[in-house]
Amino acid sequence: MQTTNLHTVVIVAVFACWYLYFTARETSRQRLDIYDLTMLSTVAIVPLVFVLFPGIALRVAELAGVAFPFVVMFGVLFGILFIFIHRLTVKIHRLENDNRLLIQEVSILKTNNRSISDSSQKNPSQGVSVEG
Amino acid sequence: MRQPHVLVIIPCLNEQAAIGALLKEIASCGECYATIVVDDGSSDATYDTAVQLSPVIRLLRNLGIGGAVQTGIKYAAANDFDFCVQIDGDGQHPPSEIAKLLNAYQQSPCSIIVGSRYLCNDSFRSSFARRFGGQAIAWSLNTLFRRCNISDPTSGMRLMDRHAIKFFSHSYPHDFPEPISLAWALRQELSVGECAVKMRSRAHGQSSIAGWKRLAYMFRVLGYVALTRLIGIRS
Repeated sequence: MQTTNLHTVVIVAVFACWYLYFTARETSRQRLDIYDLTMLSTVAIVPLVFVLFPGIALRVAELAGVAFPFVVMFGVLFGILFIFIHRLTVKIHRLENDNRLLIQEVSILKTNNRSISDSSQKNPSQGVSVEG
Repeated sequence: MRQPHVLVIIPCLNEQAAIGALLKEIASCGECYATIVVDDGSSDATYDTAVQLSPVIRLLRNLGIGGAVQTGIKYAAANDFDFCVQIDGDGQHPPSEIAKLLNAYQQSPCSIIVGSRYLCNDSFRSSFARRFGGQAIAWSLNTLFRRCNISDPTSGMRLMDRHAIKFFSHSYPHDFPEPISLAWALRQELSVGECAVKMRSRAHGQSSIAGWKRLAYMFRVLGYVALTRLIGIRS
């Protein structure tokens, strides 16, 4: 039966509690969304599970065919963070495209407004027609 | 038959020294071209100079050449132009050559007519490195797209008809737009043609693609072209 040193359990548990509290607080303030909370909280939960239940770590390492359980832990964390970063990259590019579209539309609208106000100043008796 | 409405799109960034002369040259070439200057966030007097001679779209932030050109294309789409012609704001593309693009369209209608500096012997020639990069990109386009036979894919002087205006107003590459837009258009079954035009050397300012950037430019464009051929684009 594998056991873990109490100091290790306390350190990992304190980190996990603090980090979970921090991410939950940020989520409640809507600085993160629930999906981010779920993904980021694995950074706290996975090490905690491995520390509290070292037998699971050994069993998973055996199933995965790796010699050391910590390789499995880092592999899982890396995979989760990779998914998270991939999602962030896609999101940033989508926002960049939205931003570009908005800048273009607002700039064209401002030009149209300027030409409308110019033409209405030249011909104040005529109505204003909007194109585009 | 009515005269086609032609819009000349002039994207520019910090071209205060060249833009005024270019707009006067367009006005004096005797054709009824409408112009739109797209000021891509210039920090000099480009806007103040241009606005006295032409309508100007002043972008709120610098979007790069692709974003600026697409803004002009959107303006053309919104105002129902038959053709739009893109020329550079640095004066490298003589406005008198626009008629050649329109004539080429009338002789052999293609959605995009690219003005090629390499089909004309007495035109300004760029450096060896640029020509090599341009030829590598042209070779990749001509090889990967069977209906394509162009010599100057990086030329910023080109004519677009209504089909191209409609397509590019929705989808236009923001990185390396000249060659990649051709790949996108070909992937969308738009036709691309070419005609010889004369170009001038740059009188003011300097190109943003210099030194090692040229090599990076070539490889990135080749990557994008290959991906466009293999996967296609979001329409």
